[in-house]
Amino acid sequence: MKAAQDLRELIGYRELIAVLARREIRARYRYSLLGAGWAIALPVSLMLIFSVVFSRVANFQTGGIPYPVFAYAGLLPWQLHAGILTGGARSLTDNSVLVTKVYFAREVLPLSRVLAALFDFLIASLVLAGLMAWYGILPGPEVALLPLVLLMQVAFGVGLAMLIAGANLLYRDVQYVLQVAVTVWMFASSVVYPLPRQGMLGWLGYINPITPILDSYRALLLGAPPPHTGQLVAAAIICAVTPVAAWLWFRRVERRFGELA
Amino acid sequence: MTAPRVELKDVWKRLQRRSEVSTLAELLYGLPRRLFQRPDEDGLRPHQFWALQNISFALEPGETLGIIGPNGAGKSSILKLLFRIFRPDRGSVHAHGRVTGLIELGAGFHPMLPGRDNVFIYGSILGMSQREIRSKYGAIVEFAEMAEFMEMPVKNYSSGMYARLAFAVAAHADPDVLLVDEVLAVGDASFQARCHDWIERRRRLGCSIVIVSHQMHVIQAATRCMYINQGQSVMLEAPRTVIDRYMRDQAERMQHTESEQGICRVELLNEHHEPIQELVAGMAVTMRVHWNLPEPVVGPVVTLDLVHDDPRYLISTPGGNLAQLSSGDTLNGETAHGSGVFDVQIERLQLPIGMYRVNAAVKARDAFIAAVRMEDAVRFEVRRPADSDSHALLELPQRWSLSQPTEAGAPPKP
Repeated sequence: MKAAQDLRELIGYRELIAVLARREIRARYRYSLLGAGWAIALPVSLMLIFSVVFSRVANFQTGGIPYPVFAYAGLLPWQLHAGILTGGARSLTDNSVLVTKVYFAREVLPLSRVLAALFDFLIASLVLAGLMAWYGILPGPEVALLPLVLLMQVAFGVGLAMLIAGANLLYRDVQYVLQVAVTVWMFASSVVYPLPRQGMLGWLGYINPITPILDSYRALLLGAPPPHTGQLVAAAIICAVTPVAAWLWFRRVERRFGELA
Repeated sequence: MTAPRVELKDVWKRLQRRSEVSTLAELLYGLPRRLFQRPDEDGLRPHQFWALQNISFALEPGETLGIIGPNGAGKSSILKLLFRIFRPDRGSVHAHGRVTGLIELGAGFHPMLPGRDNVFIYGSILGMSQREIRSKYGAIVEFAEMAEFMEMPVKNYSSGMYARLAFAVAAHADPDVLLVDEVLAVGDASFQARCHDWIERRRRLGCSIVIVSHQMHVIQAATRCMYINQGQSVMLEAPRTVIDRYMRDQAERMQHTESEQGICRVELLNEHHEPIQELVAGMAVTMRVHWNLPEPVVGPVVTLDLVHDDPRYLISTPGGNLAQLSSGDTLNGETAHGSGVFDVQIERLQLPIGMYRVNAAVKARDAFIAAVRMEDAVRFEVRRPADSDSHALLELPQRWSLSQPTEAGAPPKP
């Protein structure tokens, strides 16, 4: 089957995906003032701002978890998600020379951005470990399920990255629409506050896999209440379907990329 | 019977001059119109055109196809089809084995990263594994002659160094099919010579090569040549035949685009004052510059720069031209005004064989800059005389003799 053949070809490019991700990381870390701190700066500063603001304005039910850890445990995976979306969106347009002058499977470019975002995620998670140690939070044995949650999130991200990368090549204003969408999405998810699980906002949790995913991170790492089961099941389905559907679409439009970039 | 290494069969490719829809906003506004718009009978939407029509050829291992044609004829589109950057709209394209395209040298180089990192990145983009690159790294650096620059960020490289490193990486990719665009026109002459030597070596090792160039010496080295114009194959023959046809078309086109004022055109005449386009080394030739000067030019100084097509000969003259004809002070007492011609007679054309173009300029004796000039005023080819058995580029008029001392110790008589 053609799709299986294409998938094999794509797997053959795994080294190139890693090389291009490393190219991005090296260039960023080598020549920016903050170096590795770059990955940490954004989630940490957001965590500090929200801690100050929300400790005065509102009092969220964090289940006894100190707000800074609660917020950071949401901001960390959220930054991964946002990084995949914004990085992925420009992956084809930033590399238009590669798209128009060299051949390799085009999926390589959004995928390498996902990998680079994962690297930042890894660096930034050191801060979470530090925060947890500071507040004396020790995760239970259920933390072993964490890779599954990460897998769900990355699968979802891979699908969206391909979708947005392709769309942004076809319609160049997608990246601007995306900037707005990412901000709205952040406040529509349980990033810096818990969302009610019933009513209008509970319904939002069914179509937005990020909320149950973030709830799962907090449950596994910080011992927060487990995510809403219905939402989690819906998220699992969305996270499985998105990459497959996105890839099938990507394969179709990819044939024209060389003419459009 | 095995399939050829590279094969294009009745290939048609449609391209867009400008994208019909490039933003979401345009998509929304244009949707109603697009729904009712039907492609015309050729299957073309507005802004679309056939970049290639009905192109077919096949290449065996060890063959080189040279592609020539005017700008925008579709030469690069053929390379992009073979490289799978473009997909054909009709017909089929097959290339077997590892296909390496030198359509842009150093595509994927990161300017901030040092040469070393970029060797690994570019090699990987060209389809080499990291292990393969690691084992060839020393050879790549040696080929590029850049051992001392490998830790320097690529943005600090000169364009020549950039091209050299990129080519060195590509040279070690061991392709089965090599696609070369005009890229090798960068870099200095010795670098270009090495590139072409390397390409020739690859060919002898069984690589199939498709090369696009405006440089006739490159095309001449191919085993076959395709001349395309406006997306259609005009001819596919031995390079010599195709180049002759191409040069004839070019010369014809040149006559259509002569200008009304200044230098109108430059003509080549043989000893019977008949126009010619092909010159034989050693013959007598007259170059005639037609002019139309509304302002008088006092004491005109006419120069004709003869620029060789093979940049390996642009050695070190400031203008980069192989030869120059200049009237110097000989027209001192004259004034050029209205229309007329300058003739320069060359008794024996002692130029290296090859393709030339002529840049002409006229300036007043006291002026620093040219009053009128015309770049690429005429093109011509200098050929070897038919009876010559020399392989040299240039033959000098020569007379040989032999003398021997008649008595021991006595010097030979002059």
